[in-house]
Amino acid sequence: MRYLPSRRAFLAVGAASVLALSACGGSDDSSSSSSSGSSAAPAASKLIVIITPSPDNVFFKAEQEAADAQAKKLGYETLVLSHDDDPTKQSQQFDTAISRKAAAIILDNAGADASVTAIQRAKDAQIPTFLIDREINKTGVAVAQIVSNNAQGAGLGGQEFAKLMGGKGEYAELTGKPTDTNAGVRSKGYHGVLDQYPDLKMVAQQSANWDQAEALQKTQTILQAHPNIKGIIAGNDTMALGAYAAVQASNKKDIIVTGFDGSPDVVSSILKKGIKATVLQPASKIAEMAVDQADAYIKNGKADQPEKQSIDCVLVNPDNAGTVKNFAVAGS
Amino acid sequence: MTDTHVAAHRQAAAPPPDAPRHTALARAALLLLRGRTLVVLVLLVIIFSSISSEYLTQSNLILMTKHVAINAILAIGVTFVILTGGIDLSVGSIAGLASMVSGGLLFKGLNVPGGTIFFSVAVVILIGIVVGALVGAVNGLLITRFRVAPFIATLGMLYVARGAAQLHSDGGTYPDLAGTEARGNTGFGFIGVDSILGIPVAVWIMVMVAAAAVLVTTKTPFGKRIFAVGGNERAAVLSGIRVNRIKISVYVISGACAALAGLLLTSELGAAYPDTATTYELNAIAAAVLGGTALSGGRGTIIGTVMGAFVIGFLSDGLVLVGVSTFWQSVVKGAVIVFAVITEQAQQRLQSTLTRRTA
Amino acid sequence: MPEILEAHHISKKYGGVRALKDVTFTAYRGQVNVLVGENGAGKSTLMKILSGSEQPTSGEILLDGEPVQLGSPREAQARGIGIIHQELSLFPNLTIADNLFAGRELRRGGRFVDAAAQRRRAREVLQRLGQDRLAPDTLVGDLPIGQQQLVEIGRALLTDVRVLIMDEPTSALSNHEVDVLFGVMAELRRDDVTVIYISHKLDEFRRIGDWVTVFRDGGLVAHESMSRTDTGWIVRQMVGRDPDSLYARNSAPVGDVLLDVRGLTVPGPVQVDDVSLTVRAGEVVGIYGLMGAGRTELVETLMGMRRPSAGDVVIRGTHEPKGTVQARMAAGLALVPEDRQRDGLVPTMSVRENILLATLARMTRGGLLNGGTEQRTADGKVGELAIKSPGLGALVTALSGGNQQKVVLARALLTDPVVLLLDEPTRGIDVGAKAQIAALMADLAAQGFGVLFISSELAEVMAMADRVLVMARGRVTAEFTAGSVTEEALVAASASDSVLEATK
Repeated sequence: MRYLPSRRAFLAVGAASVLALSACGGSDDSSSSSSSGSSAAPAASKLIVIITPSPDNVFFKAEQEAADAQAKKLGYETLVLSHDDDPTKQSQQFDTAISRKAAAIILDNAGADASVTAIQRAKDAQIPTFLIDREINKTGVAVAQIVSNNAQGAGLGGQEFAKLMGGKGEYAELTGKPTDTNAGVRSKGYHGVLDQYPDLKMVAQQSANWDQAEALQKTQTILQAHPNIKGIIAGNDTMALGAYAAVQASNKKDIIVTGFDGSPDVVSSILKKGIKATVLQPASKIAEMAVDQADAYIKNGKADQPEKQSIDCVLVNPDNAGTVKNFAVAGS
Repeated sequence: MTDTHVAAHRQAAAPPPDAPRHTALARAALLLLRGRTLVVLVLLVIIFSSISSEYLTQSNLILMTKHVAINAILAIGVTFVILTGGIDLSVGSIAGLASMVSGGLLFKGLNVPGGTIFFSVAVVILIGIVVGALVGAVNGLLITRFRVAPFIATLGMLYVARGAAQLHSDGGTYPDLAGTEARGNTGFGFIGVDSILGIPVAVWIMVMVAAAAVLVTTKTPFGKRIFAVGGNERAAVLSGIRVNRIKISVYVISGACAALAGLLLTSELGAAYPDTATTYELNAIAAAVLGGTALSGGRGTIIGTVMGAFVIGFLSDGLVLVGVSTFWQSVVKGAVIVFAVITEQAQQRLQSTLTRRTA
Repeated sequence: MPEILEAHHISKKYGGVRALKDVTFTAYRGQVNVLVGENGAGKSTLMKILSGSEQPTSGEILLDGEPVQLGSPREAQARGIGIIHQELSLFPNLTIADNLFAGRELRRGGRFVDAAAQRRRAREVLQRLGQDRLAPDTLVGDLPIGQQQLVEIGRALLTDVRVLIMDEPTSALSNHEVDVLFGVMAELRRDDVTVIYISHKLDEFRRIGDWVTVFRDGGLVAHESMSRTDTGWIVRQMVGRDPDSLYARNSAPVGDVLLDVRGLTVPGPVQVDDVSLTVRAGEVVGIYGLMGAGRTELVETLMGMRRPSAGDVVIRGTHEPKGTVQARMAAGLALVPEDRQRDGLVPTMSVRENILLATLARMTRGGLLNGGTEQRTADGKVGELAIKSPGLGALVTALSGGNQQKVVLARALLTDPVVLLLDEPTRGIDVGAKAQIAALMADLAAQGFGVLFISSELAEVMAMADRVLVMARGRVTAEFTAGSVTEEALVAASASDSVLEATK
C-alpha cells in the first residue's frame, strides 16, 4: 500500500517522457529526451502546479493560461491555483503542491517577504519553484525569478508620456496598491524620466488601488481640483481605463492617458485613438520561459539559467498596437 | 468664584436655579446630536472649501453628489435590511454580479440555440435589477426558511455572488458596452454618464430611489411593519405580521438597490469587470450607521442614510481633492465612522434621560 | 419612637415634571417601614434619593437628626444605608460565596482571597436565611429565581447596614421563601436595623410592617401605624376611592359559544395535554395554575404562535384549521401576552404605532397610510381605555406598566376579536391599573366579547372569573363556577395531577 504511490509515480514518469517525446519533438529541449526512464529525476512526478494572483485581472489570466498551455504542451499535468494575493492561502496551496509531490511550481507570488518560507518549504521537499512576474526578497530559494523589468518599462512609459505632453504642462498620476512593490517601482520609473522635465508639473498623485471604478471617481475629482491638467499617467491599465472613462465624461477629451501592462482592452483603446500608450509586460513569454526552464530542471536536475532574469518590457502605441496579442508583441 | 458659587448653593439648599437651563441645554444638545449628520456635512464643506476654492463650486458639488449616488442607493437598500435587525454583506458582490450580467448581455448578447439575442438597454437594465432582486430573495430564504443568521447568510452570498460574477466572464472584463445600432442596444451610458437639466441621471435616480424609500418606510403599512419586525419580532408576530415575508422583502429590496448601483457604476465606466464594487458593502453599512440607523434594528431613517452617504462621499472626495494620501484617507474615514457611532450612543442616552424626566 | 432617617420637604423635578412634591417622610429606628403606592406615585424616586443615586431638587435629609449629603450610593453605604433592588444584580457564573463577597473579598495576608473564610461566612448567612441545605459553592445561575433573591438579600446582610431599603423583594419568591424573608426581617428588627420595605402585596406587608406610608401622585398622602389600618383603608388611600370596586365582577348574560377547543395537545418542554374548553359570549373565564402548567402555551397555541400536534379549534362555530396568527386573528381571536416587553410592545415605536400595529392595512388610502385615520383611530382607543400618555407620538416605553398594558389591549381590540385571550393581564402593574383592567374585562364581556384570562393570583381569579379552569402539567385538572370556587380547592387542583370533578 505504501509503495503504491511511488510505483504509480514511476510509471507516470515513463508515460510523461513518452508523451513529451511524441508531443514536442520539434521543441528546442529535445536534447534532454535521453533522460527518459534512465536518470533519477529529483521529483518523480509529472505535475506542475501553477499559482498566480486572481485571474480577474487579464494579465494574470494571460500568464496563467500561457504557463498552463506550455506545460501541457510539454506533457505535464497541471494544477492551476489562485492565491488572490493572500500569502496564507498561497502557503496552503504550497502544502497542496508538496503533498501531491509536484515536479515543479510556477509562482506569481503573493508577497516579496511573505512568500519566502513557503518556497523554502517546497525546496526542502525537493520541489523547485520558478517565480514569474514578481520577485521575492531572497535569493537561493527559488530556482528562477523571471520578471519583466518594471523599472525599464516605466522608463519607457515615462518617456512616451513626456513626449505626448510635449515636455510641459500639468499632469496627475494614479498609483497602484500602495503595498504592492510594483506600484512603487513603476512610480519611481515614471518619475525618473518625468522629473527631468522642469515644465512638467505633477499636480495630483493618488492611489486608485489598481481598481477601475476607483480610478474613475478619483480622476473626476482630480479634474475638478485641477482643471488645467493635460495628462494622466496610470500605474496599470485598469486604472488607465477608469481614468479614460472619466476624461471621456468630462469636456476635456483631449487629455492624454497612458497605462502599463499592455492589456487587450487598452490595446484596443489605443487602436481606437483613445488611450495613448501602455507598456507591455511580456506576461505570456515569461510564463512560457518559466515552464521551459522548469522542464529542463526536471529533466537535468539543475538550472540552465541564472536565478535572476529580467525581461524587458515593450512600449505599445498606435504604431505597433495592431500587432499585440495576448500580452505579446509580434516580433519581440 | 466657583467655590463661593457652590457654597451659596449649599447654604440656600434651594433648587439649583440652573436646573431648567440644564434641561434646555440638554434639549439643544439632543437636537444637535439628532442632526449630527447634517452638522458633520456642513463642517466638512466649510473645512474643505477653506482649503480648496474648487471644493464649493457647482461642478464639484454635482460631481461629488454623483459619486454619492452609488453608495447612497446601496445604503438605502441596506437600511431596509438593518431596520429589520438584519444585515446585508452581499450588496457589493450583488452589484458586481448585476454589472457582469448586464455587461455580458450588452457586449456579447445571450446565446440561444440558433443564434445570439441582443436586448434593448431598458430590458438589460431590468434583467440586471431582477438578478439582484433574485439574489436578495435567496438571502431572504436562507435567513427565514433555513434560519441562517443574516450575517452568515449574506457573508456566504458575498463570496458566491462575487464568484458568479467572475465565472460569468471567466474573470475577464466586458470592455465596451456602447452597443451598436444594428443590435438596437445603444444608450447604456444614459444612466451613468448623461445629465438632465445639468444634473447627472444617476443623481436623479438616487433622488427617485430615496423618495420612494422614504414613502415606503414612513407612509405604508409595509414600512411600519419593517420597523416593527426590527423593534420587536415577537410582538410583530403576535400582531399578525408575516415576519418572514417582510424579511424576504427587505433582502429583495436590498438586492435590487445593489444591482441598480452596480449598473450605474458600470454605465459610467463603460465597462463591466467582475471586481466591480468590491467592499462597497462596508461603505453602505457605514452610511446607514452614520445616518443613525441602529444595527439592532427598529430605528433609523432613509434621509439619515442618504445624509450618511453624503458625509462619506463628500469626505472621500474632499480628501482626494486636497491631495491627502490614501493612507490618511482610510484613517480619517474610519475615525469619522467611529465618532458617528459614539455620538449615536450619546444621543440615545440623552434621549432616554429626557424621556424619563418627562414621563 | 426614635426616628433614624428623615426626609424633610423633599421635592424632585425631572424637567418640568414634579416626581415628588414636598414630601416629608420618617423612617423609625428598628421598625419595618412599609411604603405603598401605585407605580409612578413617587416611592421609588424617594428611595433613590435616600440611597444616594438621585439628588433632590429641594429639601434635606436627616440621619440621626443630622443633615447629611448623600451624593452617591457609595456615600449612602458608608453611612449604613443599603438598598436591594427589584432587579437582581448577581453574577450567575459565580458561586454563592463569590457573589456574597464580590467586590469586598475577604483577604488573607492582605493579598489573597480567603476562600475558606468566605465559605464559612457564606454558610452563616445562608443559615440565617433559612437555606441551611444550600452549599456556598453552588453556582448562582443554577438557583431558582427565589433563592437568587435571597442571595441578593444575603449580600446586604453582610454589610453593616443600619437602614435597609428593599424594593419589592418578594415578587419572585415562593410562599415558603417569603416566610423565611419575613423571619429575617423580624430578626433585623431585633438587631435594631431599620427596614424600609416597598411592596404591592397588601396581604404580605400587613404581616410584617410596623408603619405604613402611602404615596399617591408624587405626594405622601398617609402615614400610619400598621395596627391602626386595614386593607380597605390602605387601598382607599392608594387609589383614592373604595376598594370594593377593585375587581369588577362581570354580570353580563351568557350567550353563544364563541370559542370551542377540543383535545388540544402541544408537545414541548412545557406541554399542553388534551385540553378542551369553551368560552361563551359575555363570559369571563379564568385559568388558574402554577408557572409551567402550560397556560401560556395553551393561549399561544390558540393564537397560532405554536403548532399543536392534535386538537380542534372552533371559533364562532367555524372550524379554523390553518392555525396561523393571521388566520386566528381573522377568525376573531386576539391575545394580550404575559410578557409585555418581550411579546407585546415594540419599544422603538410610538404609542400610536404600537396601538395600530395589527391593523395598519385598514389605515390606508390609495396604499399610503392616512395620518388622519391613524390619529383618529388611536385617539379613540386612548380615550376609550383611558390610556395616560404624554402624547400619541411619545415612545411607548415612556408609559407606566399599566398604560403599556392598555396599549397592547387597544391593539388587540382594534383587530375586532370576538374572544380576547389575556395572559396575566395584571402582572407587574399597580393596584389602580389592576382595577381598571378588571373593569375593562367586565365591560368587554358586557359588550358580548368572550374573555379568557390567565392569572396566578387567587384573589384576582376568584373575584373576576365567571368560571375558573385549573391547569397543572398541561392538563385541565378542575373546573369551578364563581359560586363554588374556594381558595383551597384551587390550590389543591393546581398542584394535582388528576382531573378533579368540579362541583357545579
